[in-house]
Amino acid sequence: MAVKSNEKASLPGGLHRSIVQTRINRVLAYIVFGIAMLIVIYPLLWVLTNSFKTDTQLFDQSWALPKVFKWENYVTAWKYGIARYILNSVIVTVGTVVLNLGISIMASYALSRFKFKGQNLLLFFILGGLMLAPEVALIPLFRILSFLGIYNTYLAMILPNLAFGIPFTTFLIRSYMLGLPKDFEEAATLDGASTAGIFYHVVVPLCRPILASAALLDAMRVWNEFMFGLTFITSDKLKTIPVGLMAFSGALREQYTVVMAGLIISALPMIILFLLTQKQFIRGLAAGGLRG
Amino acid sequence: MNSLRFRKKLTPYLLLLPAIIVMLVFVYLPIVENIYYSLFRWSSIDPTMKFIDIQNYTRIFKDTIIGGALKNNVLYSVISVIFQVFISLVLAAILESRIIRHRWANIFRNTLFMPAVLAITVVGITFQLIYSPNSGLLNQLLRGIGLDSLAHAWLGEEGTAIYAIIAVSQWQWVGYDMILFIVAIQAIPDELYEAAKIDGASGLQQFFNITIPMVRETILVLSTITVIGGFKVFDIVWVMTAGGPNNASQTLGGYLYRVGFRNDEMGYASALATLLFLITLALTFIQLRIGRTGKEA
Repeated sequence: MAVKSNEKASLPGGLHRSIVQTRINRVLAYIVFGIAMLIVIYPLLWVLTNSFKTDTQLFDQSWALPKVFKWENYVTAWKYGIARYILNSVIVTVGTVVLNLGISIMASYALSRFKFKGQNLLLFFILGGLMLAPEVALIPLFRILSFLGIYNTYLAMILPNLAFGIPFTTFLIRSYMLGLPKDFEEAATLDGASTAGIFYHVVVPLCRPILASAALLDAMRVWNEFMFGLTFITSDKLKTIPVGLMAFSGALREQYTVVMAGLIISALPMIILFLLTQKQFIRGLAAGGLRG
Repeated sequence: MNSLRFRKKLTPYLLLLPAIIVMLVFVYLPIVENIYYSLFRWSSIDPTMKFIDIQNYTRIFKDTIIGGALKNNVLYSVISVIFQVFISLVLAAILESRIIRHRWANIFRNTLFMPAVLAITVVGITFQLIYSPNSGLLNQLLRGIGLDSLAHAWLGEEGTAIYAIIAVSQWQWVGYDMILFIVAIQAIPDELYEAAKIDGASGLQQFFNITIPMVRETILVLSTITVIGGFKVFDIVWVMTAGGPNNASQTLGGYLYRVGFRNDEMGYASALATLLFLITLALTFIQLRIGRTGKEA
């Protein structure tokens, strides 16, 4: 459990002891993380290997690697609704993230570059949403969406997801804008550029890094969102992956290996996205500090 | 000229308008409405709402399921703080100590984070399969090493269900909070550690005397967020057991959903939502208070 390995010692005997100690610490650290990694990765590998088996093989020896790869499991899962759920998830995620970025960058610009009456109140109004649990809004939202005639449509997921996403995204972008030097904007003003022109041609391009991070974090949140999807969607055709998978695994109770194939297909898009964009992901986490 | 100045004054409000409208309609209005709805008896099928003043609230105190649910929320919070705050912090400190080679540290960090990007249903169903009494990985493992007596129908037994669910949540989130701590530790000036090393402080001493005090703020904030998360928890419970068996793994959020959207007692569910609102509000208030004293110290 040592922090910043300690190699200083005054006596040769002490030096020797401390080198041994460091070595022991190093071995222990590798063991701790080796075990942690095994605990995290093995369940996923177990699902992966078994997703290629027949159900009998699964029951006989779930440890073993598949003897023959049964790709049909994947084909069955794909056709059994997973393809549709993925499409729906893409629509809902892209819709929400695009709207959220657009709305939040405008709000952030107003909150970081203008002085106006009620500024603090409006800042509190938006960031206050960070403290409110979607669970508390669930029942009234159900009525509001019915009243608006958009219950059981994509909008029934997009709008509530958007509303609960704006506070965090605005928080991220606003903090970033506050840290940006104003030189470029001032130069553009002197050149006679309009507010809108400065916004589009100076501020938005400068914010690109944080926009990428904010988009990723928001995409992860919306892609995995469960409660709104469960509550506001009834038709199977509109279900997103998190909710659709429940119906999927319920319907295929007896075909474990097909369910496993479905799990792998569903997990892949986010894992790939994460592996490709770690840097932006972690920058977003560093800037936001917390999960929404 | 005058109208131009007026437009300039109006600009920030126009920029904020979309955010305000969306949040007003889909965040603030529902939360206020929820309190109003909690004073009625109503269902989603029957549009007539019968005013029953605070009966939904007095019912909470007589409801025997609530106690068990809140107990599970507390369990969930406490275990989550131990794993997602303290164990995450220790893991982060080890990774940042450079005792592990850079390449491996990256691999460990990314692997441990990976579960956080998975949908709750993917995780939930994966562990349903792992916990399954006969074909599941866990029982096979226990039987494989001769611990047959420890094999359980993990999600099907009242004594184990909630712990089995909580364990999954730790599996998913320890790596996430570890990364947040890594970020916090990286912000600590290196000189502090250098000075401590010259004074001959051991790694453990550096951890307790430098790392912990310097990331105190992150510890406090993550602790309250984790506790609040423990009281809000709904999805993982709903996916894995739906609160069963016999409400043994019920939580406040899960019970709220069952009462509202399965039993169709919307008024009572609204009252439960108000209870949840008050709990999260109180915890947020505590967080803000602690956060402030933390800055003064």
